[in-house]
Amino acid sequence: MKSSKEWDWEIKPVQSGWRLGLAEIIHYKDLLLRFAERDLSVRYKQTIIGPFWNFLQPLLTTIVYVVVFGKIAKISTDGAPPVLFFLAGTIIWAFFSDCFHSVQYTFISNAHIFSKVYFPRIVVPLSIILSQSIRFLIQFLLFIVIYLVYLFYFKNVYPSWYILLLPFLLLITAAFALGLGLIVSVFVAKYRDLESLTQILLRLFMFATPVIYPLSIIPEKYKIWFWLNPLTWVLETFRAAFLTHQEISFTNMAVSLVSVTAILMIGIIFFKEKELKVMDTI
Amino acid sequence: MDNIVIRANNISKQYRLGVLDFTSFKEEWKMWWAKKTSSRNHQANADFSNERDASEKWLWALRNVSFDVKQGEVLGIIGKNGAGKSTLLKIISRISLPTTGTVKGKGRVASLLEVGTGFHDELTGRENIFLNGQILGMKKKEVAEKFDEIVNFSGIEKFLDTPIKRYSSGMYVRLAFAVAAHLDPEILIVDEVLAVGDAEFQRKCMGKMKDSAANDGKTILFVSHNMQAVRNLCHRAIFLEAGKIVDEGNPENVIANYLNKETRQLLTREFDRLSTAPGNEYITIKKVMLTPQYPTGIDIVDIRTPLLVNFEFWYNGEHDINLMCGVHLFTVAGECIFDVSSQKNDFTNGLIKGECLIPGNFLNDGSYYISIIFVKDSSSVLFYYEECLSFTVEDYREDIAWYGKWIGHVRPKFDVQLHQV
Repeated sequence: MKSSKEWDWEIKPVQSGWRLGLAEIIHYKDLLLRFAERDLSVRYKQTIIGPFWNFLQPLLTTIVYVVVFGKIAKISTDGAPPVLFFLAGTIIWAFFSDCFHSVQYTFISNAHIFSKVYFPRIVVPLSIILSQSIRFLIQFLLFIVIYLVYLFYFKNVYPSWYILLLPFLLLITAAFALGLGLIVSVFVAKYRDLESLTQILLRLFMFATPVIYPLSIIPEKYKIWFWLNPLTWVLETFRAAFLTHQEISFTNMAVSLVSVTAILMIGIIFFKEKELKVMDTI
Repeated sequence: MDNIVIRANNISKQYRLGVLDFTSFKEEWKMWWAKKTSSRNHQANADFSNERDASEKWLWALRNVSFDVKQGEVLGIIGKNGAGKSTLLKIISRISLPTTGTVKGKGRVASLLEVGTGFHDELTGRENIFLNGQILGMKKKEVAEKFDEIVNFSGIEKFLDTPIKRYSSGMYVRLAFAVAAHLDPEILIVDEVLAVGDAEFQRKCMGKMKDSAANDGKTILFVSHNMQAVRNLCHRAIFLEAGKIVDEGNPENVIANYLNKETRQLLTREFDRLSTAPGNEYITIKKVMLTPQYPTGIDIVDIRTPLLVNFEFWYNGEHDINLMCGVHLFTVAGECIFDVSSQKNDFTNGLIKGECLIPGNFLNDGSYYISIIFVKDSSSVLFYYEECLSFTVEDYREDIAWYGKWIGHVRPKFDVQLHQV
C-alpha cells in the first residue's frame, strides 16, 4: 500500500500546457476511436444514399467549379484535366476546412459532456481529425478511380514519385487545421464573435489559397506570400505528384513544415492550458 | 488504517455573474494588462483581488473548503441548492478548476454527475452502451466484458438495436443507469442521480453502491437531498452553506444540524404586551408553543417524535363562559389532517392553559401547520388563531433500501399481519 505522501493526481488552479499527458491520451484511445466512429456513423443516419454523400459532395462541387471557373472564367489548370484539377483542390480544401471548422466547435458542441465528465479534452479534436481523415481517404478513392480513367484512357496525366509524399501532405494539412482550430476553439468558447469572423475568413482564405487556380498564374513578386501558406505547398505538390510535370520546392516544404509545427505546438499548449478554464464561460 | 485517497486543501471557486459582452471583454483586457504590467508588484495584485471580492459581479461558490477522504469511506455532502455542492464535485471530478487551493488524490476517479452523459439519439442502445461507458472512463474491453450484465440490468434486450431516440424516457434512464452501475473506479463521485429513475431502480442502484463501498473498498462522494439515503449510505457527512463547510462528522448529527437550519420551524410564539398580542375582545393569546419530545437524543423532528402543543390565553369577558378549544392540523398544502377538541368547561375571567399531545409514529414526513379555534357554548366561534405554529417532520426508516416518498398524510405504526394459508 502506498504511503499518504504519494499522490496519483493533483488539481491546481492553473493547468500547465506544457505537459501533454500522452500516457493519458493513450489511456483514452478507445474513446478517441469511439468518437471518430460516432461522427462517421451519425453523419448520414436517416438518409437514403448514406455514405455515398461522401462521393456526391465533392463530385457536385467539382462539376460546378469545372463549369464556372474552367469553362466560363477560363482559369488555367496548368495543362491538367480540369475535372482532376478541381477535384484535387476540392477534396484537399474540404479536408482542411472541415477539420478546422469542427475542431473550432470542440467546446461548444461538447459542452454537455465536458460539464459532466472528465477526460483529456484533446481526445475530441483528435477524433475529429481522425474521422475527417477517413472521409478524406474515401474521397481520395473517388479521385483515384477517375484518375485511373485519365491515366489509361486519355493518357494526359503524369504521375511522379512525389506521390509517395501523400501521407506527409495529409499530415501537414491536418496539423495545420488542428493547430488553428485548437487556438480558435478556446476563444470561440468565450466570445462567439469569432464564430462569424472565422466563417468569413475561412472563405477568403480559400481564395487566397491555390484551390481553384494554379500558383503559376500568380505574378512572381506576390508568390512569396503564397508560399507562407502551408496549404499552397500541399496543393501544388499534390498536383505535381499526380497531374503535371512540375518540380516541387523543398525549401518551401521546410517552410511549411516549420510553420505548421509551430502553429500546432502553440495550439496544443494553449488548448491544454485553457481546456478546463473555458468551461466556466461556455 | 488511515489511508487518505482525496485531500482537498483550501479550495475556493469564484464565478463571474452576468453576461459576457463588450463590457466584460473591456474589463478583462484591463485586468490582463494590469497583471502584465505589474506582475512583480504584489500590492497591485492584492488590490486587484480585493476589487474582485467587493464587486457584485463575482460570486464565491466555494470558500476555503478543506477535507480528507479515506479509502473505503462514503462521504455525503449536503446543503441547500446553491450551497456549492455541485461545484465541489465538479472540481474534484476535474471538470472545472478551483480559483485557489489544490486537490490531491490517489486512484482512478469516475464521476456520475448525470446519467447518460454523451448518449447520442441517433445511435442504437448497443452503440450507446459503449459510447457512454467509455466516456465515463471504461475501456472498450471492460465494457465488452460487462456488456451482458449491463443489458440484463437495464432490461431492454429487445430494443438493443433501435436508435435511442425511439426509447421511452423510462427505458432511456434504465439504460443509462445500467451503464453507470457497472462503473468500476476506485473513487466514485455521485451527484443526485437518484432523483431520476423509478423506485425499483433506485433500490437496485443504492444497493450496488452500498455493496461496492462495503465489500470492494470503494471510496464514494455522494451529494443528495435525500437525507434518508445519506443517513443509510454515508459514514461521514459534510454540510455546506454558502460555499463553506459549516458542519462535518457523523451523518446523523450533521443531518440534524442541517435540517434544523433548513426547515422553517415556528415552534414558539409568545406575546409580552397585550397591545400586540393576537386576539379580540374575548380572547387574547399569551403563548403558543410546540415542544418536540425527542426520544433519540438528537434534536430533530422525525416521524417518531411526539409533539406537545401548549397554549395559554386570557379570557377577557366579564361573564363566566362555557368554553371549548380545538386544535387543527393542516398540511402545507392546506388539507386538514385532524381536528381535535377539548372538553367543554366553564371558566371565569383570567389566564387559561391548554395542551395537546400529538403522538409519535403518527404523522408522515412533510410540513404542517397548526391553527387553534376557541368556541363558546359549542356553537359560536370566539376566535380562530390561524397558522399559529408550523413545523416539519423528517423521514425516518430503518433497514429499508427504498428512498422514495412515503405516501399518505399519516403514517401510523400498527401491524399488518400476513399468514400462510
